[in-house]
Amino acid sequence: MNNIFKFSFGILSTLAFAWLAFVVGANLQYGDLSPESQILEDDGSRPPDAELFPKDMSGIAKQGAEEYLSLGCVTCHTQQVRLFTKKGPNGNRVIEAGIDIERGWGKRASMARDYVLQDHVMLGNTRVGPDLANFGMNENDQNWLHQHLFEPQSLVPDSICPPSPFLYEVSDQPKDGTISVLPPVGSSGDENKTRYIIPSIRANRIVAYLRALKQDYELPESPFVETDEKTIETNTTVIEGIPDWVNYPASPKALADISEQMSAGKEVYTKIGPGGGGCVTCHQPTGLGVPLAFPPLAASDWVKGDKDRLIKISLFGLMGEIEVNGVNYNGVMTAPGIPPGSLTDQQIADVLTFVRNSWGNSASAVSPAEVAEIRDSIKDRAPMQMWTAAELSSHSKQVQ
Amino acid sequence: MKETPEQVIDRSAKIVVSFFVASAGLWLLAAALLAYVAAAKLTDPFFLSSYEFFTYGKIKIAQANAFVYGWGGNSIFAVTLWIIARLSQVEIRGRILLLFSGVIWNMAISFGLLGILDGHMNSHEMLEMPTIVWPALFISYAIFAFLALVIHRSRKNPNTIAPQWFILASLIWFPALFLIAWNGLEINPARGTLPSVLSLWFGQSLIWLWLTPMALGAAYYIIPSIIGKAIDKYYLAIFGFWCIAALAPWSVVHHLEGGPVPMWIPAVGTVMSIAMIFPIAVASTNFHATAFRDIGKVWNNLPLRFVIFGTISYTLSSYIGVIFSLPDVAKLTQFSIINEFHFNQRVYGFFSMIIFGMVYHMLPKITGKEIGKSAKSFHFWTSAFGVLILLLAYLIGGLTHGVLAQQTSLDWSSSVITSVQPYFKITKYAFVILGLSQLVFVINVWKVIFPNPFAALFESDIEKKEKTA
Amino acid sequence: MTEKKKPADIPLYSDEDMVEVHADLNHEKHPPTIGFLHAPLVFVFLFGCLIFFCSVQLAETTNKFQLHPPAEKKNQLSPEELVAQKLKRKIDSGEKVFAQNCASCHQLNGEGIPNQFPPLAGSEWVTSDPGLITNIILKGLKGKIIVKGETWGSVPSQAMVAVNINDRQIANVTTYVRQAWGNSASEITEKQVASFRSQSSGQTDQWIGDQLKELFPSGIAD
Repeated sequence: MNNIFKFSFGILSTLAFAWLAFVVGANLQYGDLSPESQILEDDGSRPPDAELFPKDMSGIAKQGAEEYLSLGCVTCHTQQVRLFTKKGPNGNRVIEAGIDIERGWGKRASMARDYVLQDHVMLGNTRVGPDLANFGMNENDQNWLHQHLFEPQSLVPDSICPPSPFLYEVSDQPKDGTISVLPPVGSSGDENKTRYIIPSIRANRIVAYLRALKQDYELPESPFVETDEKTIETNTTVIEGIPDWVNYPASPKALADISEQMSAGKEVYTKIGPGGGGCVTCHQPTGLGVPLAFPPLAASDWVKGDKDRLIKISLFGLMGEIEVNGVNYNGVMTAPGIPPGSLTDQQIADVLTFVRNSWGNSASAVSPAEVAEIRDSIKDRAPMQMWTAAELSSHSKQVQ
Repeated sequence: MKETPEQVIDRSAKIVVSFFVASAGLWLLAAALLAYVAAAKLTDPFFLSSYEFFTYGKIKIAQANAFVYGWGGNSIFAVTLWIIARLSQVEIRGRILLLFSGVIWNMAISFGLLGILDGHMNSHEMLEMPTIVWPALFISYAIFAFLALVIHRSRKNPNTIAPQWFILASLIWFPALFLIAWNGLEINPARGTLPSVLSLWFGQSLIWLWLTPMALGAAYYIIPSIIGKAIDKYYLAIFGFWCIAALAPWSVVHHLEGGPVPMWIPAVGTVMSIAMIFPIAVASTNFHATAFRDIGKVWNNLPLRFVIFGTISYTLSSYIGVIFSLPDVAKLTQFSIINEFHFNQRVYGFFSMIIFGMVYHMLPKITGKEIGKSAKSFHFWTSAFGVLILLLAYLIGGLTHGVLAQQTSLDWSSSVITSVQPYFKITKYAFVILGLSQLVFVINVWKVIFPNPFAALFESDIEKKEKTA
Repeated sequence: MTEKKKPADIPLYSDEDMVEVHADLNHEKHPPTIGFLHAPLVFVFLFGCLIFFCSVQLAETTNKFQLHPPAEKKNQLSPEELVAQKLKRKIDSGEKVFAQNCASCHQLNGEGIPNQFPPLAGSEWVTSDPGLITNIILKGLKGKIIVKGETWGSVPSQAMVAVNINDRQIANVTTYVRQAWGNSASEITEKQVASFRSQSSGQTDQWIGDQLKELFPSGIAD
């Protein structure tokens, strides 16, 4: 102890042991991990032509990682689905679904291999916000992400995530490419108005990064884990998991008057099978549709605009090319209901009121009488004959 | 009148130690301010939200860095130099070089923190400062460590005792850790989660191998020195020391429980954490058995009261740490704000309290001026109260957070975090109390170091002249 | 008695004393008293026990220091079970593909919509030659066809467009469709799909029903 050199040697060698284990040892053990196919053959070899995972992120997503890092998001968000094990039937330990998976933060435990292609691995150590390892799998809608990044409180009322208005250009009027952001829930007075934001390149990078965060593939060492969730029945189903923010439209006061229609409409929207509209299969619980296949209902002029046109579509369906929010779609929509066109006036009024007042939409309610009127006016139309966009516009002119 | 050898040493330490204590005080205030802003942002997300400079993530990280490197670093410089010089019975030499290294250290941290706030952050725990300031940090610490070792080598009595072991170990471990982390993270970076393991190991080891031995060394020095009796069961101290040296660098990785790393890494960490109860028991026995031979002195002597608060806090926090490293408990609380509890318990309740005591003990000897008794007392009671409130809030809040997060039926924002929200509010008020107490501390210290503003100007002139000379 | 005073009780007046007294304490050979001998022995014994127990736990819970977590042993499955497991994975994946790409017209129950979209359940177009269903997905289908005795596709709007998914997805979804809702036709492999894709590369427009019937005469009996 008295010779400083021997002393230093002693204390440095205790440090070196730990270093040998956690740095050198760990590096030897898994420093050479590389992407792998989802399932290996029984002899441990990789199937020929198998796709390898994880995939590299796009360039903009990698830039987004830098932004994510520089804003310090890692302070509150982890990016790891933890591995939980339990005693198996043979006394050996087996993987089980833990609370992270039950919370819907992933389908399986994160593995070292998932991170081998990332420049900045930000596992994090505190969850004030939810885990983001699979954020891109659950929240894939760009507008939602931008709205959340700009002001989380406009979507999640109790969120304590700080807003990032400095990433956006804000205006009072809608313009090309703007995204509308509702006022925070519970705000009043001057603050209580919709803002229109244009994302900066940095915001786009972050959103690209968040969407790229997903471990939606299996790995040989970590297959998807079964949870105790009930299996979805195929015949008549109400799709669960409509986010809460669906229920926070622009003005809570106006909503009170139509609350009955809203809840009935939500049921029609989500129910698949006789008595339901089944809208949710294509237009999604988020009202955002599926990119390039099914148009969004949220912020769509087709939904918020002309009521008559909307009712006509609900009665007979729509096909051919249409433009929604600047994007062209070419598909087929049968009239809602099983069989198609079987919804009653009341059901159509309810579901239209619901879609016109959800996901940030705010438009007047639709009454059963209005539906009956339109149904009467086009009663000569052949059954199941879907509208086209051109036909709809000429038809409404004729009526005028 | 002839000066005693101790007075000669104190005189040689005057400018250097005063400089480090004064700048440590400033960093303490900066950290307190940042801590308040961070806590306020958690309770009101709109607070300062339109300035990119002050996002919560940045403030939080800047606060930890200002606290550990700014306050911790500077006070370690001061206390190390003084205790080493006193125990070696040698004057402090290389004073200009020491001041120079101190200036570089403080400038590097200032640039580093500005870098963090400006968005040039690293993803490595406790090494978030931009890589560009790392060489400056390392060089300035190397100069300081070298000079401190030179003083130690020229000691009068060839025998070394417990405070020296701990302080020298802290002195040598920091640059070693820093080099390992630098090499593994920047010079030869590995892929995947390997850097995460390394940076977690560094960040936690920094507290266990740099701050902890420093504070333990100070306690081993100050307790017998004020009580006037040798350490009780002193023969255990060497066992305790080597246990910490051997176990602490292994134990810290238990934080990775369930993470995307080989399972043996957190498991080894857990085993070693449990083994840590022995060195903790040793230090606790040594300190408390000695101190409680003269309880009246513990109560009446303010520096000793600070130090005993710190050692009790060390014992408790370490045992609590052992409990929270058990796998079944870790799964519950791993990602909750209990982490804040551990950090603040260690750097606030333990390290800082001992350093406060140490500063109050050595500053009057160095400057020859007494610090006002009521001011000191006010500082003690506000710190003790503030730390207790803060830690209780983080502990109960962390448990709430962890337990509610297990209830998968509860919504994250509207149920889990909302339930933790009241504790965030409490911590905000605790940081106000602590900020106030630290302001008193800094005023106490600055009043002694710079008796009046003009003298302060005059003295800093002398320092400058010495530097240029 | 003063000589027997314990060193720990010697008053310290200065740092010099402190170093000396503690250094003496360090060098002193302690007399073998009860208090001295037992405490460290108990410590070392407890320490050893603790490390031992923890190490046993360690090896068990960490899968013997392997990189990968413990998995249920795969070789417990017989070859037949393995084949069945593979097929199940394929069908599960196909079900998802179907829900995303097909169900909006043909419905999740495969019954289609009367007068609009033909059923897949029990349809001879689905369950006969693999080439038939694969090619329809690859290129689409238009014009009149007869399914389960009913005529479909009399309105141009009811034509089916090609579905833009890769070979593996086609293999999965066709296998699913051929074995769901009471259908029980053979599995379609990715290789088969790839060969159909290359064979039909000349076809630019949607298929017409009769065209396909000629190509795969074994499939549909009129």
